[in-house]
Amino acid sequence: MSQENLFPQETNFSPENELPGIRAKIIGIGGAGLSLIDGLCFDNFQSVEHLAIDVDSRALADSIASEKLSFGRRHTRGMGTGGEHTLARKALEEEKDVIRKKLEGVDLVFLLAGLGGGTGGGAAPVIARLARESGALVFAFTPLPFSWEKSRHSMAEECLADLRKFANAVIPLPNDSLLQMGGADATALECFAEAGRNVSKGITAICALVFRRGMIDVDFVHLRKAFNRRAGRTLFGYGEGEGEDAIRQAVRELLLCPMLHLPDVSKAADALLILITGGTGMSMASLQQVSLEIRDEFKAGEHIVFGAHVDENMGDRVQITVLGATDLEAGTPPADVAPAAKGVISALPKSKVAHPSKLQKQNQTTPTTPTPKLSRFKKQETIDQNTFDFMEAENQRGIFGDLPSRNLYAGEDLDVPAYLRRGVKVSI
Amino acid sequence: MSKIIGAVEIGTSKAKALIGEVADNGNLNVVGMAFRPNEGMRKGEIVDFRKAAAAVHSALEDAEKMSGTTVDEVYLAQTGAHLKGQMLLGSASTASSDNRVDVTDLQRASEEAKRRSPDAGRTYVHHIRTPILLDGRIVQDPVGMIGSKVDLGYWAIDGDDQAIKHALHVISNYSLDVKDLILSSIASSTMMAGPDFRRAGTLVIDMGAGVTDFALYRQGFVAYTGVIPVGGDHVTGDLSMGLRILEPYAEKLKIEHGKSIPDPMDEGEDVWIIGNKTIGDRAIPRKAITDIIHVRIVELFEIISKELEGLLEPDELKGGILLTGGASLLPGVDQIATKVLGFPTRRASFPSGIASELAHPENATVLGLLHYGLEDHGLPGRKKEEAETGFLGKFRKMVGLSPQH
Repeated sequence: MSQENLFPQETNFSPENELPGIRAKIIGIGGAGLSLIDGLCFDNFQSVEHLAIDVDSRALADSIASEKLSFGRRHTRGMGTGGEHTLARKALEEEKDVIRKKLEGVDLVFLLAGLGGGTGGGAAPVIARLARESGALVFAFTPLPFSWEKSRHSMAEECLADLRKFANAVIPLPNDSLLQMGGADATALECFAEAGRNVSKGITAICALVFRRGMIDVDFVHLRKAFNRRAGRTLFGYGEGEGEDAIRQAVRELLLCPMLHLPDVSKAADALLILITGGTGMSMASLQQVSLEIRDEFKAGEHIVFGAHVDENMGDRVQITVLGATDLEAGTPPADVAPAAKGVISALPKSKVAHPSKLQKQNQTTPTTPTPKLSRFKKQETIDQNTFDFMEAENQRGIFGDLPSRNLYAGEDLDVPAYLRRGVKVSI
Repeated sequence: MSKIIGAVEIGTSKAKALIGEVADNGNLNVVGMAFRPNEGMRKGEIVDFRKAAAAVHSALEDAEKMSGTTVDEVYLAQTGAHLKGQMLLGSASTASSDNRVDVTDLQRASEEAKRRSPDAGRTYVHHIRTPILLDGRIVQDPVGMIGSKVDLGYWAIDGDDQAIKHALHVISNYSLDVKDLILSSIASSTMMAGPDFRRAGTLVIDMGAGVTDFALYRQGFVAYTGVIPVGGDHVTGDLSMGLRILEPYAEKLKIEHGKSIPDPMDEGEDVWIIGNKTIGDRAIPRKAITDIIHVRIVELFEIISKELEGLLEPDELKGGILLTGGASLLPGVDQIATKVLGFPTRRASFPSGIASELAHPENATVLGLLHYGLEDHGLPGRKKEEAETGFLGKFRKMVGLSPQH
């Protein structure tokens, strides 16, 4: 008997303050995904279900998620994948009908999966695809291994590129950056915990936006409209303030959030979600001011979703969460609000291949056809998820972020700050 | 009759043009110079042709205006991670019956060495001659000496066709010819490391904005050159990301407060980003700035050390290590290099005779271009003019470009 029957779903319950009809599911996949989902500390949203998926049935048994699903028994006999993401992918493809059933009627899916592992890396893209096919909006939060874990790191990047094909927004959480979280003397464990808290705050913010009635309300349709298209780079940040000048303080902290200052993070957003939660004292004028500022900071266009919620428990504290994405399909007119299931399978991105030589850029030279003089310069472009030739100058503010080819030396990208790669904690 | 020569370095932070006048007695006077910020370049390679060309052209224009003359040909510095060096060797037996080495013997050896053509899509940028061996002994000029076999080699640098073409086009768009392409690291070491240094053996590291070039000399000749695509811009980028500030502020902090070695005196001391304490200004611990720079610089020298693995021997490097280039001004880089590379390192100083307004480490390459261009790098026994056919001519033949329209 499969485990899901042990945990009956509760779908019919919708209390008065929650908008009915919309269902969200948080899915943790693999080791890192399970620990993230267990660490989620947020208010009980009635329409949000937790689903833990793993090949390792023992790990699954320890999870506190309300719904569990093990797969790949035939391939792994209930043990882990040993880092083989192809194995996980194959196993999951065989059992995709079970997953499909789990995704039935779900409108909003949060994927939590560590891409360095076999299960997370292999299964997350498949689940994202299935979810998109069933019409859900998919947000993925994905821890990435340290860059000194070279083979795992490059595998994770492949999976990330795969996942980006399907998810509406993928928020990478590189372990390199975790060290920069928390206070000056934070231990590694505390940094991980801090990152976990940030993820849960992000998910809470989105859920609150969708399910709670707030001061400035947006509904799921807005959210879907903003994030409907396939996203390229994303940004995700969180800031909190307290006291008299809480909202200013929160903005300051938000702009300093380490998650917003990573090499792969977009500096501008085509779609931006701003959510502000504060106590009863929050003034409308300051809200407006702050939202304009944030919108300017990220150069967000028309696809902006702004929500403000009053929570009596917040006292004089204010929390701001932003989630943004640059468009991968810019130029094409915004699709209608219907699910993008058909357009999901794209021919575009190719995963990166490691270059054999030490000091070579990672080029995938396309066959050169005679081109006019100026376009010769495009030769070095790689066809990967990070290539956005439509990006405007503003989007390219990162000092090397706009360069299409990577500066690889012995498996490390030299354009990525050395302190991040070498695990040196910088406290500012 | 004096002669006018020009030098152009399309640098990552600045495009530089220099015009020199060679007097009859061989003395070189710099009569025109101009620098322009260059935004068309990253890590030593042109990414925006029009911006790079505009910067170079206006620098050339200003330099010509200043000198009151015009130039027809320039020496052009070439760098970028696409460059690769290898040693090409050739040898020839003496042809004459009395075993005296003739010029033609050297030519045959040279031809044999240069016979190997570069891979598809690559072009030779620079052949740097290494010592001539006559029966296994190093000789300066074997012509006329008795021996049975001459060996000679070239340290040959080849680069990506496209990248080189872009650089050449920048110059030809200004209706100038490129007299020769010269490797940036060779140009700056010509300037900063005198003949005695090169004979003693030295490693010259030119830390630029976009790339770090280095050249290793042993017994007076080039033994290895390399380009690491990491430079001062990376330090700025790291600061910008690590301190979460905009790039211009990061650049300012780097120049004003940048240090590459932690200083106990800085403990607990803060600096302001903008300095006027307006909105958005923020205090940053000095330690954070130093920490970020330190890892980057250590890593840079570690990479150079890895590249030169097995080539750095105390007996062959009596001249120690010389640093130059704009990024070498960062306090502490010499100490880090000494520690990581294991040889005494110092910042190179310009030879006397260079005007003080020019004697800045970031000008080492462009000044070196003029000086390298003046020296005779042909085979012994040949007149200089004879050996030159002009780089562009050679290049056109190689890549099949049509002559200039």
